[in-house]
Amino acid sequence: MAEKNDHESSKKRPAFKKTGLSDLGKREERLALKLLLPALIIIVAIAFYPLVQVFYTSFTDRVFASGEETSFVGFDNYRRLLSVHITELEPVLDESSGEQLVDSDTGEKIFERPLDVLPREPRRYREYKQFDFFGKRYVIGATDTNFIDGVQNTLVFTVVSVLIELILGLAIALVVNSKFRFRGSMRAAMLVPWAVITVVSARMWEWMLAPSRIGMFNALLDRLGVIDSPIAFLASGSYQLSALIAVDVWKTTPFMALLLLAGLQTMPEDIFEAAEIDGAGKIRQFFAITLPLLKPAMAVALIFRTLDALRVFDIFQVMLGSSTYSMASYNYFQLINNRNMGLASAIGVIIFILIFVFAISYIKMLGADEE
Amino acid sequence: MLKSKWLFGFALLLAAIMLMSAGCGEPEEIVDEPEPDEPEIVDPDEVVITVAAGAVGMELELTRDLAEMYSEANDGVTVDVLDTPDMADDRLGLYLQFFEARSPEVDVYQIDVIWPGDLAEHFVDLYEYGADAVADDHFPAIIENNTVDGRLVGIPWFTDAGLLYYRTDLLEKYELDVPETWDDLEEAAQIIQDGEREENPDFWGFVWQGNAYEGLTCDALEWIASNDGGEIISPDGVITINNENAIEIVDQAAGWVGTISPEGVTTMAEEDSRAVWHAGNAAFMRNWPYAYATSLEEGSAVADVFDVSPLPAGRSGSGAATLGGWQLAVSTYSENPEIAADVALFMASHDGQKYRAVEGTFNPTIMDLYDDDEVLEAAPFFDTLYDVFINAVARPSTVTAPQYAAVSELFYNAVHDVLTGQTNAADAFEILELDLEELTGFPSE
Repeated sequence: MAEKNDHESSKKRPAFKKTGLSDLGKREERLALKLLLPALIIIVAIAFYPLVQVFYTSFTDRVFASGEETSFVGFDNYRRLLSVHITELEPVLDESSGEQLVDSDTGEKIFERPLDVLPREPRRYREYKQFDFFGKRYVIGATDTNFIDGVQNTLVFTVVSVLIELILGLAIALVVNSKFRFRGSMRAAMLVPWAVITVVSARMWEWMLAPSRIGMFNALLDRLGVIDSPIAFLASGSYQLSALIAVDVWKTTPFMALLLLAGLQTMPEDIFEAAEIDGAGKIRQFFAITLPLLKPAMAVALIFRTLDALRVFDIFQVMLGSSTYSMASYNYFQLINNRNMGLASAIGVIIFILIFVFAISYIKMLGADEE
Repeated sequence: MLKSKWLFGFALLLAAIMLMSAGCGEPEEIVDEPEPDEPEIVDPDEVVITVAAGAVGMELELTRDLAEMYSEANDGVTVDVLDTPDMADDRLGLYLQFFEARSPEVDVYQIDVIWPGDLAEHFVDLYEYGADAVADDHFPAIIENNTVDGRLVGIPWFTDAGLLYYRTDLLEKYELDVPETWDDLEEAAQIIQDGEREENPDFWGFVWQGNAYEGLTCDALEWIASNDGGEIISPDGVITINNENAIEIVDQAAGWVGTISPEGVTTMAEEDSRAVWHAGNAAFMRNWPYAYATSLEEGSAVADVFDVSPLPAGRSGSGAATLGGWQLAVSTYSENPEIAADVALFMASHDGQKYRAVEGTFNPTIMDLYDDDEVLEAAPFFDTLYDVFINAVARPSTVTAPQYAAVSELFYNAVHDVLTGQTNAADAFEILELDLEELTGFPSE
C-alpha cells in the first residue's frame, strides 16, 4: 500500500506546477518514459495482443486445428451463449371439471411441458429452471444451458470456497502467529497441500472419493455405520460441487493463511500492550485492532483467491469431465473436443469481462479504505 | 480522476493476465516448442520418429517393444513412444494441439476408428508410401473407414468390439448359464451378487462404462442396437434415436445403477470397471478385448476363472458390439514422412500385429491371423467370436463428420442424465432428437 501512495504523490507533484518544469525535470520525465517502455512493450506483447486476438476470433466461426475458411459471424457466438427467455407455463386443466391436474404419484400440480412452450426459432431454447412466482409457474429457457450452468457452478464454487478459505485461513494464521514450540516447522508443514500440483491433488481426491470402499471416505463412513451402500460423490449433482469445494478448501486455505499471516506480522506489538493495559480483552482486541489492521492484507488475499477461483479449470476437468462444467472447463470442451474456436473465444471474452468486473469492484473497495 | 484511470488499467491488466493463464483460446501458448535440432547434436544422421500411442492395459509396453525392434533393425533410426491419455476424448485434445501448431514433434499418431473423417487433412496418404501392397490383407470395412477421398489416412492396427466377460466359477456355483439376453444377465447378476455379498460386501453383479464420455456412447449404442433401436443416426442421415425400443433398453439400463451395478458406475471408464473385475469384485463386465490379457496377468483374482462371450441380446434376438479399434496415421507435419510411414507399416504388419495379439490379445485387423495357431492359443475367443468382430456396429462418425464429437456428447450426456436419474429416457430422447436436428440438420424418423 505504501508503494501506491508514493506513486500517487510523485505523479501529483509535476501536475501541480507543470508550467515551471525545469530542463532537468523534462529530461527526467523523458528518462522515466524510456525506462517504462520495455515494461509497456512486454505488457502489450503478452497481454494485449493475445487478448485482441481472442476478441477478434470470438466474432468468427473459426474451427480449431483445421485449414477450413473462417468467416465473420458478428455477435452470433454471444447470442448462442447468453440468450435467455422467460415464459409462463399454463396449468394443465382437467377437461370436465376445469381443475388443474395433479400427478397421482408425487402429488404435484401439472403444468405444460417447457419443451412445448419455449421458442425453437431461430435457435432452440432449452429448459434451464422452473420457478413459482405469485402462484404462477414460470420457466427459464436458455440456448446454451451448459454455459449458463457453468457460470452458475463457477459462481457458487467461488463464493462458497473463498468464504470458507477466508475463515479457516484466518484461524490458522492467528494460531501460527502466536508463539509456541516448533512454530517454524508448523508453518512449513501447513504449506504442503498448497505445494501439491492441482491436477495431482484432484486425482488424489478422486481416489479418496471413490464410489466404493476403496475410497477413504466411503470406507470411513462404512466403518462408522453411517451409510448402507457407498456414496458416489462425483456422480450425483448434489455431492459434486460440495466435493470440489472441499478439495479447493483443502488445497488453498494454506495460501490464504500465508497472506493473512504476513498481514498479522506487520502489526506492532505495542498497540496490543496498550490495549491490554487499558483493559481490553482478547476478543475486544481482535475485533477492535487485529481485524481493522488486517483489512488491507485480507483484501489482497481475497482478490487473489476470487480471481483464481473464477477461472477454476483443473479440478472440474479432472474430477467431473464432461458431466458438469465450470466456465473454463466448458471453454476447454468447446475448443478442444468440439473444435469450435469462435465460440470458445467468446466464452473466454465473457470470463474476461466477469473477472474484470470482480477485479474493479474489489479494487474500488480497497481504495475506499485508504481515503 | 488520475486514480480511477490507474485503477481501471490495473484491473484490466489483472483480468487479462488471469484470463491468459486460464489458457483461453490462445493456440500459440498451448503446445511446447518442438525441438527438431536436439537429436542432431548427438549424431547428425540419427533420425528420431515419435509415435503417440495409447497406454490402456498393456498397450504402452507392447508398442515400446515394437519400437525397439524397429530401432534395432534399422541403423540410424530411433523410435520413441509418447504415451497419451487413456480417455479417447482427452487424447484427441492432445492431438489437436499438435495439429493446430503444425508441430513435427510427433510423426505417427494412433487414431481412433471414429477420427479419420475429421482429421484427414493432417495425415499423409499411405498409398503413396507403399500401403497398397498390404491394404488387401486387412478387413475391408476398416480400410474403407480409413479411406477419405481415395486417400488411406491410417493403416488399421487393431480392431475392437465390446465383449461380455463372465466368471465361470460363479456361474457354476449358482448353476447359471451364460446370459444370452439382458434380462438373463440382470437375473444372473442379481442372484450371484446376493449370494456373494454375504462374504464380500464389495461385490457387484455387473460393471461397465457409465461415465459421461465416448465410452458411454459405445456401451449405450450396444444396448440400443441389440434391442432393435437403431444406431442413433442411420448411415443415410436420418435421426432414429427417439424410438420405443431405444427408450425401453436405456430405461432398463438405468435400473441397473444401484442394483446390480454400483452407483459409481456412472463415473467409470474402461480401467475403472476393469479394476473392480480384476480384484474379483464383479460377476460380469462389459469391456474391450484388451482386458482378456490383463485378466490373465499375475495378481489378477480372476486369472483362471473367467471367459468371454458376445454381449447379451435384447428384442433384436442377437447381441450387438460397438466397433472400436485404432489405426496408425502419419502426420503431414512430420520431417521424415517416409521413415515414419515405414515405422507405421512395420507396427501394423503381419508380424507386428501377431506379436500384439499373442502378447496382449489385441485383435488383429489382418484376416489371416485369425487362422494362426499361436494367436488362437493365446486368445481362443478370436476363433469363437470371429462373427462378433466382423459384424460390429459402427458409430455414426462418417455420416455426421465433422460434427461427430458434438453428436456423441449430446448422446452420452442424455444417456448419463437418464442413468443418474435426472430424467427418463422418453423425455431425454425427445429432447436429444431436437438437439440433433438442430446440430446436424438431418431429418428425424
